[in-house]
Amino acid sequence: MTGERFLFLLFALATCGGALGVVISQNVVRMAFSLVIALGSTSGLFFLLHADFVAATQLLIYVGGTLVLLIFGIMLTASGPYVRIKTSPADLFLAAGVGFLVLFMIVGTVMDVDWEQASIKLTGRAIAEKPIGYNELGQGNTARTIALGLIGSRPDKDLGQPAEKGLSTGYLLPFEIVSVHLLVVLIGAAYLARARRRVDSSADS
Amino acid sequence: MDVELNHYLFVGAVLFVSGIVCMATKRNAIGVLMGVELVLNGANVNFVAFSRYTPLGIDGQIVSLFVIVLAAAEAAVALAIALSFYNNHLTIDVDRGDELQG
Amino acid sequence: MTLTPEQFSIVVLLTAAWLLPLLGFAIEVFGGYWQKSRHSKAAAGLAVACIGIGFVFSAGALAIGIDWSSLGDVVEVGPAEGPVPAELAHDEHEEPAVTLPIAGTFYLLGKFGSLELALDYYIDSLTLVMFSMVTLVATCIHVFALGYMSDELTDDHVDHQVHTAGGGHFHRPGRFYRFFSFMSLFCFSMLGLVLAGNVFMVFIFWELVGICSYLLIGFYIERKSATNAANKAFIVNRVGDFGFIIGLMIIFTYFGTFRFFNHEIDGRDVPGLFTMISRVDAEASGGHQPTGADNSQHDADAHHGPQRLDVDDARSVVFLHDRDGSRKLDDAGNEMSIPYWLLVAAGLGIFAGCIGKSAQFPLQTWLPDAMEGPTPVSALVHSATMVAAGVYLAGRFYPMFTPEVLLVIAYVGCITLFLAATIAMVATDIKRVLAYSTISQLGYMMLGIGLGGWAAGLFHLITHAFFKSLMFLCSGSVIIGCHHEQEMPRMGGLRKKMPITAYTMLVGVIAICGLAIPGTAIAFSGYHSKDAIIATSLAYMDANSVHFLLFLVPLVTAGMTAFYMFRLWFYTFAGEPRDQELYDHVHESPWVMTAPLVVLAVFAAGCAFGGEDGKLYRLISGSEPPHVAGGTVSVAAAGAEQIRMPSRHHIHGEVTAEGIPIVDSSDLSPHDKAGMYALIAAVTGTLVAYIFYGARVLNPDDFRRQFAGVYTFLVEKWRFDELYDAIFVRPVHVVAAWCTTIDRCCIDGLLHWMTRFTVDVSRWDRKFDEGVIDGLVDQIGNVTFSAGRWLRHVQTGKLRQYVMFLALGLLALFALLFVMFPA
Repeated sequence: MTGERFLFLLFALATCGGALGVVISQNVVRMAFSLVIALGSTSGLFFLLHADFVAATQLLIYVGGTLVLLIFGIMLTASGPYVRIKTSPADLFLAAGVGFLVLFMIVGTVMDVDWEQASIKLTGRAIAEKPIGYNELGQGNTARTIALGLIGSRPDKDLGQPAEKGLSTGYLLPFEIVSVHLLVVLIGAAYLARARRRVDSSADS
Repeated sequence: MDVELNHYLFVGAVLFVSGIVCMATKRNAIGVLMGVELVLNGANVNFVAFSRYTPLGIDGQIVSLFVIVLAAAEAAVALAIALSFYNNHLTIDVDRGDELQG
Repeated sequence: MTLTPEQFSIVVLLTAAWLLPLLGFAIEVFGGYWQKSRHSKAAAGLAVACIGIGFVFSAGALAIGIDWSSLGDVVEVGPAEGPVPAELAHDEHEEPAVTLPIAGTFYLLGKFGSLELALDYYIDSLTLVMFSMVTLVATCIHVFALGYMSDELTDDHVDHQVHTAGGGHFHRPGRFYRFFSFMSLFCFSMLGLVLAGNVFMVFIFWELVGICSYLLIGFYIERKSATNAANKAFIVNRVGDFGFIIGLMIIFTYFGTFRFFNHEIDGRDVPGLFTMISRVDAEASGGHQPTGADNSQHDADAHHGPQRLDVDDARSVVFLHDRDGSRKLDDAGNEMSIPYWLLVAAGLGIFAGCIGKSAQFPLQTWLPDAMEGPTPVSALVHSATMVAAGVYLAGRFYPMFTPEVLLVIAYVGCITLFLAATIAMVATDIKRVLAYSTISQLGYMMLGIGLGGWAAGLFHLITHAFFKSLMFLCSGSVIIGCHHEQEMPRMGGLRKKMPITAYTMLVGVIAICGLAIPGTAIAFSGYHSKDAIIATSLAYMDANSVHFLLFLVPLVTAGMTAFYMFRLWFYTFAGEPRDQELYDHVHESPWVMTAPLVVLAVFAAGCAFGGEDGKLYRLISGSEPPHVAGGTVSVAAAGAEQIRMPSRHHIHGEVTAEGIPIVDSSDLSPHDKAGMYALIAAVTGTLVAYIFYGARVLNPDDFRRQFAGVYTFLVEKWRFDELYDAIFVRPVHVVAAWCTTIDRCCIDGLLHWMTRFTVDVSRWDRKFDEGVIDGLVDQIGNVTFSAGRWLRHVQTGKLRQYVMFLALGLLALFALLFVMFPA
């Protein structure tokens, strides 16, 4: 059992357990907590996959931002302490059945695919050939490549290539779009959640 | 046994399916939102696994970055909607929000 | 035909005399509107002038056309007639100054194949005599009417026989000019009828005369009785005209022409009716030697034998002759013929028109009612001219009549004369008596013609015209003098106050009675003419003993005639006045009314001077159809059913009925015998009348009471009016009621049913529309709506369900793509 494998098992089990915990628990706070565990473990998986920047971003933004937001939301919309909202067992059964089916569908598909052949077919290169520019020894050094890619240049692809090939496209445009998108979301969310007179349960408007 | 691509893909699948089940079963709006987060995370895991094990390269990671950002934005908006819903209905039960029926 | 100057002048004179009254009519009709005052007698003056000039022209034509010095030898040698009076010797063949008849065409109306419809003229001596008579009588009557109608010369004429709603009498403007315009039109029509050269033209003027009669009878149009009488006259005439038209049709079909005379069509010579129907000798076996067609045949023997129609051996078909005397061939070369019974039918048809126009039995009912018109109208139209037109046509059309038809004519005349005389004996209105007398005398004329006495009948026509118009004018003078009183029982003793009227009336009465002093030549005209007819009837009875009634009845009626005519005279002019107040106001008429009386009296007395040797008779008999003189035989086999018409020689006692010459003439000839019998009858009637009404020896009221039933029957005119009412008028009313019912029930019912049906159809249609079609459309809408409503349930609004559907959809899609269709 190598360390990688062990860490993988650890993080995988934590993720899956957290996810299942989200599904199973009835209390929304407990669900939030399980989600924290799941997302944190996912970050760990990311680290294992040599995606250090992404993992960090995951922790920062997802766990530290989105989940906190969700918890705020839980607290703002909390019902009475003794009110439980339960789903009917039929719905649970049906959802579980569908879930298992989908799981089998995906897993079955995944098992079926020959990644080697698919890679050669799709990209012309074998899996074993690592992409050019991929810095194998530079674990945790993806930030620079990602940043350059977001600006618009792709040294991992273009460096060392003959001049006739031309430059690869970067992700500058999606970056800008997402920026605008975030602005819009900001404004929209602010408008949607503006202060409004709370409607009483016996309101007569 | 090395950790292969398929393993990570399995994890991603579990996350995805549990996200779906969560969306389908939870009556709490925030619970539904959590399901959405789970689905997105499952996709992220897939992306990054492919970026590691196939010539997909750094593109996978950039895309998962985008996913994270957009998931955050979407969570913000969805929360705003849920709060608005809560203000109007005084309950967070999504089953009560069936005015669009028929 | 080319005309000599004399012939041409005759034609011109007669045409002018004919057309002048038409001109007068046209001027009067329009002038009447334009003249300012109703007091002007200009219209009458114009009418009198026209007809007077017409008389002058007619007299002139008569003078030119007849060789007066040798009147006995009138030789009329013409293409259609080759007659010679049989009693004359034929040794003088001097060419006469004028050859009659003159015939030709005025104007061609239309041509249909070989039939030409034209206005023709046919002038023979009968035409000339008729023209002169008509114009003379008309002139006298026009002058009389100047005085008689003078009460119309005002702007406000009071009609005492019409009562208004308020009870007073009716006031209207005078209609002087209208009367004379109608009279002028009538004269034009009558003269046209006389002048006509073909049957169709006769028919045209026949109808015209009928119209004028209608207009004149209904002159006082506000009187209901007058308008009814006018309608009755016209309608009864029309009944006769129906037969006339049938006769015309038969003639057209078989003869192909209407003309009397031979003429040319498209350069071909076409024989006229008279030529086509010419007879053959009865004795000649199988031979067809026609008489009269050949100019040179003056052989006395050929004319003395009896004549008959040219028939085949089975006696069912009559052959028609051509101009040269042979049988006429049609275009295909076959001999033209007419079935015998159709010829009889044609004759009866034409005679039916004569029955209507001349008021014979059974159509005599209109003439007494026609007395509603003014008296000049009665004098001119209904005694002298229009009713004589029927007799004239019978005479003109004589050759076309077979002996069977002539027998019918004779019997009709016989019945009529007896019928009318009996009614006249009890009538009390002075004009009614004269009307029935007219009918009776017309019966005599028809009888005469039917018995073969062609000239006798027409002779009586002329004399009757004079004395009857004279008597009518006298009665008009009496009526005016008695201030429009017409009932004889209220008159009496008028001769002291109205001498001229009384004595001219006496002349007329003596004329009609046929009184004479035997052995001398003193006899008024009626004696000679009636004598001729009775003589013919006696000879007829000798020849056909079966028909003895045709002699006895006229003889008895001659007595009755004398009786009622003298009754009239004694009632009116003799004895004591029965109504003193009326008598005090009586006055004689002015000279404008009495002068015509005198003129006519002269003619009534003397126009037949000389009897059958006199000028008038010879004039008329000059136009006699060729086969009359020698007697005619019908085509039946010898025996009882054969009709033998007497010949001239037989009548005058020269041969027996069978044709054997009589050597010993000690017996009286039929002519003389008949004269004796007739005179005895007339004198008897006169004496009876004198006993009853003149000397008042017997009281007629006693007889009236004795024979009350007969008296009532006669007074009611033999109930003919009631009979016709029951036979014809009531059924028409019944049919009209049926028609009304059919119209109302069936036709209206049908219409109502149809409307109801249409409404029902529309209702059903609406139901169908609403139920089926709208229902179909509604159903489609409903189905769509239900489907939509059913599909709407998919949207539950539940979030979780949507997610479930998403997941299931994903699974299904995967299954479809990768499991079902793995490619």
